[in-house]
Amino acid sequence: MKPDNPELVDRLAAEYVLGTLRGPARRRFERWRTNTPHVDQRCRYWEEHLMHVAKGLNPVQPPAHVWPAIRKRLNLTADRSPRRWARSWALAASLVLVAGLAGLLYWRSLPSVRPTATSTIAAKSGGEIWQVEVFGTTNRLVVHAAKLPAHPAGRDYELWALPKNGNPVSLGVLPTEGTSTRALTAIQKAALASSSQVAVSIEPPGGSPTGQPTGDIVFVAPLRASG
Amino acid sequence: MNPITESSAESPTEFEEQLLRLLGRCAAADSSALQRLYELVSPILFASLTRILRRRALAEEALQDVFVSIWQRAGQFSATRGRPMAWMMSIARYRAIDLLRHERHVPALIPDLPERLAAQPETESEERSPAWLPPSGLLEHCLGLLTERQKHCLELAFVGGNSHEDISRLTGSPLGTVKSWIRRGLQSLRQCLEA
Repeated sequence: MKPDNPELVDRLAAEYVLGTLRGPARRRFERWRTNTPHVDQRCRYWEEHLMHVAKGLNPVQPPAHVWPAIRKRLNLTADRSPRRWARSWALAASLVLVAGLAGLLYWRSLPSVRPTATSTIAAKSGGEIWQVEVFGTTNRLVVHAAKLPAHPAGRDYELWALPKNGNPVSLGVLPTEGTSTRALTAIQKAALASSSQVAVSIEPPGGSPTGQPTGDIVFVAPLRASG
Repeated sequence: MNPITESSAESPTEFEEQLLRLLGRCAAADSSALQRLYELVSPILFASLTRILRRRALAEEALQDVFVSIWQRAGQFSATRGRPMAWMMSIARYRAIDLLRHERHVPALIPDLPERLAAQPETESEERSPAWLPPSGLLEHCLGLLTERQKHCLELAFVGGNSHEDISRLTGSPLGTVKSWIRRGLQSLRQCLEA
């Protein structure tokens, strides 16, 4: 594709929005759009205009169980009755206690190995999603998955270091549950050393095919030096 | 060919202002705003999803995905990014098209012509814009200039989520002909809009 040919950009954008651009070409175009403002602009132009083709669409009320399912997936607490709050507090308190004890045991068993940097990736609502720990001395990256939001089926979350000068550097696909430990390459370690933030993007299964984020950046979190 | 500001130049309708405020509150993690937004736009998004996916259970799942996306991406969206309904409708349609890739390669699900033809004429007869759609006289005018075939193909693609091949089967026209109807339809639309 030639990004500079406005006629071609426009034709592809129109067919993309219309939905007739399919298969690998559609996915290539999506990536192109993500990285190219003028392509994105042509898409928005067509999105706004072609919407009128659907003028005759008659609204259909979705079934009642859909909204509670969305709320659940996003961990939104809509029902703020006192009993529920009390229950959540009790649960939170016991979790803190358990986490505290576990933490204590963990540190006791590993007195000399502490993360050199950490990052907590949290939802807007405040719920922790991943805890990232960088062990600079042993070249390891440990990620604990907590409560994951739902993500598009068949996609993976990918973690990125955001060095102050230069492009994001992939730190690999994030676990959806449990804890993952992996060795850091020299490039990843250098990128982390000059990063004060990490980011998470949505990528095709297995991670970005290009080595750079191709999907939406869904989280950015500070990376804090520790220890 | 660069008048991309044409549509954005139109000031937002009252309904759009409301959607923009709600999206702003979603960006600030106010879940009551998402609920209100859901009440306002889920029926039209669900209509679009069921039309494209043709399976209710799948459309329900897709609707969940769409609102999860809206919630997560509300922060990226701002008034300058375009019109809120176009943004949300696109999230829904692209999600449905994505799902089609995995779900609808089953011969039994080839769209049936009579149902579709019966479902389409409403677009011509309806004069006034529905509440969710910002009125655009220019658009109406330009769509009116397309040939019936071009317009029908655009509807089959945009509303029904049909591919070139689906449309060729549906209309009984050769694939190349369908592609050129669509291409020319889009071209004339653009020429008219930007004239």
